[in-house]
Amino acid sequence: MTVQNPAPPARDAEAPGPVRRPRSPRTAWAGLVAVAVLVIGGGLLHDVIAVRTGHPARPWRAELAHQLAVRHLDDTPVRIGAGIAVLLGLWFCRLALAPGLRRRLSLRRPGAVIDRAGVAALIADRTRDLAEVDEVAVRVRRTRTRVTVSGAADPVLIQRHLRAELARIPLAGPHQLDVRVRRLPGQAGEQAKGPAG
Amino acid sequence: MSRAAVNRAMVAVVGLFLLVGGVLVLAGGFDLYGRLGLRHPGWWPLTSPDQPLVSVASRTRWTDRDWWWPTVIGVLVLLLAGALWWTFAQLRRSGPAVLQLPAPDNGGVALRLRSRALEQAVEAETGDLPDVLGARVRLVGDQRRPLLRVVVRLRSSGRPDDLLERFHTGPLAHARTSLGLPDLPVDLRLRVATSGRKAEPEPPRVL
Repeated sequence: MTVQNPAPPARDAEAPGPVRRPRSPRTAWAGLVAVAVLVIGGGLLHDVIAVRTGHPARPWRAELAHQLAVRHLDDTPVRIGAGIAVLLGLWFCRLALAPGLRRRLSLRRPGAVIDRAGVAALIADRTRDLAEVDEVAVRVRRTRTRVTVSGAADPVLIQRHLRAELARIPLAGPHQLDVRVRRLPGQAGEQAKGPAG
Repeated sequence: MSRAAVNRAMVAVVGLFLLVGGVLVLAGGFDLYGRLGLRHPGWWPLTSPDQPLVSVASRTRWTDRDWWWPTVIGVLVLLLAGALWWTFAQLRRSGPAVLQLPAPDNGGVALRLRSRALEQAVEAETGDLPDVLGARVRLVGDQRRPLLRVVVRLRSSGRPDDLLERFHTGPLAHARTSLGLPDLPVDLRLRVATSGRKAEPEPPRVL
């Protein structure tokens, strides 16, 4: 069931074109990579200058040069190291390209977002207000929300109610709602998935 | 270029460096060129499984040339300077400390507003909206293109659509009017307090 977000109200002066997803500035990862470059480059520079000014090379650099010279490409440590480098490289490329901020969902106002945990809290709050609902678990993903309710409540009514509540959160993208009702022991078991709407 | 663009570009460069290096070593280590019958130009590195990663010969190839050590040290210094700048760019608090406002035309009056004053005003007014537990406002961007970054904590019984409407017609509209910046853009992040339940629940609504 997809909640059709109605057209934005005309009073919204900021013409809402296609809403752009916010992109993470990647501050933490950039800082981490920068510090890594700083440490490796700094150590190397320090040692190179030490050697050029007549001091012996540090054991770590001599050992590293020795290992690089004796290890062949088919040595297991070399293969493992290269595999790690490939995985890390793929991960960094993904960090550079993917928008990030997956925990936030765009709202229809330009620049406005809501945390997915916030959507979950709102829906859980509305569900607890309903009659004959004992427990509720809400899981919000990027395009769908699943509400699992235990209690004797009528799944169709819950679904109708929550659909209206979800529509009041002005999410920019289409969002699906699944409601499941789990009967308590002693009641007739029913796993209801509401009708598609 | 914005800091985000620089960050992403640098992370991509480091990632590609690791990826290409790792793939070359793996291709050589598993002898993919021989097994798949791939041809490679003569200068292609790391082609044979029996080859060391960096042989003594290739490490010391240029060490007796005059230009080698100054070049190595120069490149390392540049790399370090860049990394240092990049690290501190992450720590810098972005945003202007003072906003230059368009002054009315009565001759030589410069209007300046401390950003913190604006932030506190919007924070206070947003915090007074119904169902709002708290708000944090930062002015980011630069003098010419300031951007308000707002984080609002909403009570879980509150309504996000109402809040957005009230924020835009209230605090934001007031800020835009008083600054004379009708287009002041805003990034608003809505969080919802999970413990917003009242101690005594209301009687359940009947559907």
